Amino acid sequence: MKKKAYIKADEAETSFGLFKGLEVRIGQIVDDEWDEPMGPTPMPGPTTLRSWDYKLLTKYQPSYMPYCQVCCLCTFGKCDLSGDKRGACGLDMKGQQARIVLIAANMGCSAHLAHARHLVEHLIEEYGPRTKLIQGPGTEIHAPVSRLVTGMRPRTLEDASIILDYCESQLTHTMSATHTGQEGSWMDFESKVFHTGMIDQLSMEIADLVQVSTLGMPQADPDAPLVESGFGMMDTNKAIILTIGHNVVPASFITDYITENKLNDQVEVGGICCTAWDITRHDPKAKVIGPISWQLRFIRSGKADVIVVDAQCIRTDVVTEAKKVGSPVISTSDKAVMGLPDRTDDSIDSIVEEIVSGKIPGAYISDPHKVGEVATRVALAVKPVRRKKRYFPSAKKIQQLAQDCQKCMECVRACPNSLNVQEAVLAAQSGNMQPLRDVFKNCIGCARCEAACPNDFELHTWMVAVSQKICENEKFIVRTGRGAIQDTEIRRVGQPIVFGEIPGIIAHVGCANYPGGGQDVHDMAEEFAKRRFIVVTSGCAAMSAGFIKDENGQTIYERRSGEFDAGCVVNVGSCVANSHIAGAAIKIAAIFAKRNLRGNYAEIADYIHNRVGAVGISWGAMSQKAASIAAGFWRLGVPVIVGPHGSKYRRMLLGRADRDQDWMVYDARTGERVYTAPGPEHLFYAAETVAEANVLTAKLCIRPNDTSKGRAIKLSHYVDLHEKYMGYFPEDVWKYVRRESDIPITLKDKILAQMKENKWKERPIPDPTLLKEQVFTGGE
Amino acid sequence: MMRATPWQTGEICGPVSAKSLNKPEQLKRVWSKAKKPLMIVGSKASTIKFGKGDMIDFSIEFSKITKTPIVATGGAVKHFIERGFEGAKSMGVMEIVGYLQDPKWKGPHGQGPHDMILTHSLPYYMEWTMLSGIMNFARHIVPISLSRYYQPHATWSMPNLKEKNYQELLKGILVFVGGGK
Ligand code: SF4
Ligand code: SF4
Ligand code: SF4
Repeated sequence: MKKKAYIKADEAETSFGLFKGLEVRIGQIVDDEWDEPMGPTPMPGPTTLRSWDYKLLTKYQPSYMPYCQVCCLCTFGKCDLSGDKRGACGLDMKGQQARIVLIAANMGCSAHLAHARHLVEHLIEEYGPRTKLIQGPGTEIHAPVSRLVTGMRPRTLEDASIILDYCESQLTHTMSATHTGQEGSWMDFESKVFHTGMIDQLSMEIADLVQVSTLGMPQADPDAPLVESGFGMMDTNKAIILTIGHNVVPASFITDYITENKLNDQVEVGGICCTAWDITRHDPKAKVIGPISWQLRFIRSGKADVIVVDAQCIRTDVVTEAKKVGSPVISTSDKAVMGLPDRTDDSIDSIVEEIVSGKIPGAYISDPHKVGEVATRVALAVKPVRRKKRYFPSAKKIQQLAQDCQKCMECVRACPNSLNVQEAVLAAQSGNMQPLRDVFKNCIGCARCEAACPNDFELHTWMVAVSQKICENEKFIVRTGRGAIQDTEIRRVGQPIVFGEIPGIIAHVGCANYPGGGQDVHDMAEEFAKRRFIVVTSGCAAMSAGFIKDENGQTIYERRSGEFDAGCVVNVGSCVANSHIAGAAIKIAAIFAKRNLRGNYAEIADYIHNRVGAVGISWGAMSQKAASIAAGFWRLGVPVIVGPHGSKYRRMLLGRADRDQDWMVYDARTGERVYTAPGPEHLFYAAETVAEANVLTAKLCIRPNDTSKGRAIKLSHYVDLHEKYMGYFPEDVWKYVRRESDIPITLKDKILAQMKENKWKERPIPDPTLLKEQVFTGGE
Repeated sequence: MMRATPWQTGEICGPVSAKSLNKPEQLKRVWSKAKKPLMIVGSKASTIKFGKGDMIDFSIEFSKITKTPIVATGGAVKHFIERGFEGAKSMGVMEIVGYLQDPKWKGPHGQGPHDMILTHSLPYYMEWTMLSGIMNFARHIVPISLSRYYQPHATWSMPNLKEKNYQELLKGILVFVGGGK
């Protein structure tokens, strides 16, 4: 393995001493100790895996649903692309849609990649470039995505930096393809979407690997700590520091400062969004307040004495919102400075003094060392005054204000979930606050209703205010992110997954743009965990899954094991820990099938696509990052389901169950082309309801390679869920029967009748592959 | 002709948008030309009122009068079965958009290819995205929205009607297609 590398650090501690202004150019990095042969595609460029992408994109064709019919990206435009028209640059509607998808994937990838880059640079500065990267015990195949994509084993921070160099170069190429007058083919745009998704997965793996290696987080630990979470868990007797975002560095300095100065009985730290997971991974005394959509409700409660924001998914009006309740804001990332004065180079005493006195609403401090002390000291200083204040209007005040409602319906029209805010306001006129509480239950906290209200009613605040009791009772115990899955766990479940006896791996990931509240995520996870699927969670979805208690007062994480096995519910961690879900699928190929990973992308993706019954679900997918995360799974051939709002990603990847030619594979043993059933049927799909998603999830776990026993198990879940949610026996079961032994015994009569009716014929179970070169005889 | 504004704030589209459907007779031309319509019924049908019943009842009645096949999305099929109506098939709405782009597709009942769709009772934004797919890439189909709120990507759509007017128009449509007696 030879790659050029260039490392730069302002200050680095090495075994030779402390270097200032260190710059190292490494001509080559040679991994002589690794005897795995290099595969065909180490560090692939934007078109290296194009033929693999084309295979998937032919089987799962994009179905576009444009969000607007014009393009306004350059001054040739606006161009009307409706009908058969083309823009001044020659692009047509399909091309434009694919281009928009690529732009979104690039935005998402760049956020993860910049996050990874910041972590690596910071950690090199703190610990030196030769710091070892450790994923945890039992992870001999550490960094599987890196091995697969780059052919490298990142063993030090320096290696991680080289991999990020590669990622950055790829992102530049794929982003540049979206410029006017570059790519013109929708298929090639889509292929680059896949490429960007793969690069995103790689950046996420690096981000999590470096933080897990250095920041004291659980390392592939099935018993990762159970931590306190929920709105009501925050102890108002202490000063409260609210952290929001995804990059744990500043927050980690806060908890470290608190611990070092023995202030734990006076201050506590809670997180919203992925920083919540990563801060509790770093320090389990910290708390998970809730998902992204809980920002406003918590900020407006006035409970936060200081708000510290880092990067991604932060409300961009955080400073304005915080001002309303007098909470100072500290921004810490160059990605989200939020208009605050830069005080990075000032003395800690002067920054604290100015914030506490109210001279400035907060500060931008890019040096995380300072953030820890400033945030803690400010929180302690402002808390006594802040606790005396009341931040929510009384029910009486709400009732009084509500009298002026103009019944204009603007609030309802503005609500993404069409919640009936107006009706709730009208009920409040007579003192009935229950409808406001009902709206709150399914509210995603966007405050669009407020922005629309001609009376400037603080409608979201009203909902939160009348739901205070509910909020105070939100106290949950959740398992924080464990990181990677161990090789030993994969060894145990690899065979039953590939043969289909563990019917699937279901990953609930992503944001909280839910159509009907977070409970849906919990219910879906429970539905499949109790059927002994492997359930994995991450990000905000991991919180929502844990925010429901059973009759014994236990959450899903207390009831279910954190070990990667049938019936588990395993939280891998924050968004960047999604890479471990891909990593687990990749490791199945390496451990169970002994396939080489090194620079061998297409073969492994083909293996996963045809054999590993994994399905990703992002029920509240909102961000561009969610789009790029999904794209990483698509390239591995893993289907992804999103909630109904996900239709706004404006393109699905759909299979055609009625076109037999789309479901042909090579039998690797003979080279023959063999028909397999439509499984997995789609690669990207927005489900309208939980009912639809549950049935589809079971169906998307079907893979050509299932053994008869595995297929029978998968079909019995599919039929059972279909009957439960659709109310009848599915009509397409016969298609999935290859030989009679595939039929679940208890359903034999019905399925046999269906087979007869459809003139079913027995067919072989192939050793399935889409790649001719995988045929043992060389495809001849 | 006056065009209505999309119901959900911000869901505006582009140069082409639906004509406002206020009276059943406005459908005369497109309806008489339609040879193979398909009704797409969304998951909210059992929660949207029609007369003393709901939009499942409306759909059943419409289908019985006009012999229009029904495809129910998001699990709505369960309600048709519970009411003893056997004719509804089930598909995902995103699947339907994909399939309808193929002019040769025979439809969920094998009675196509369809040249008209009548949609209602989906989440507003999903009907919006689905109809965008149809308008842009399935131009052999005339999409009619029978939802209460304006769907700009349809050919005809109701201009955010008051509940009372919506009910009247739905009833009027049943009469217009030969029923409602
Ligand atoms: S990029 Fe092309 S389609 Fe878009 S505005 Fe410019 S010329 Fe028109
Ligand atoms: S804050 Fe809640 S109720 Fe208001 S528009 Fe957003 S989701 Fe709807
Ligand atoms: S927008 Fe404001 S004034 Fe209009 S109905 Fe809603 S609460 Fe009333």
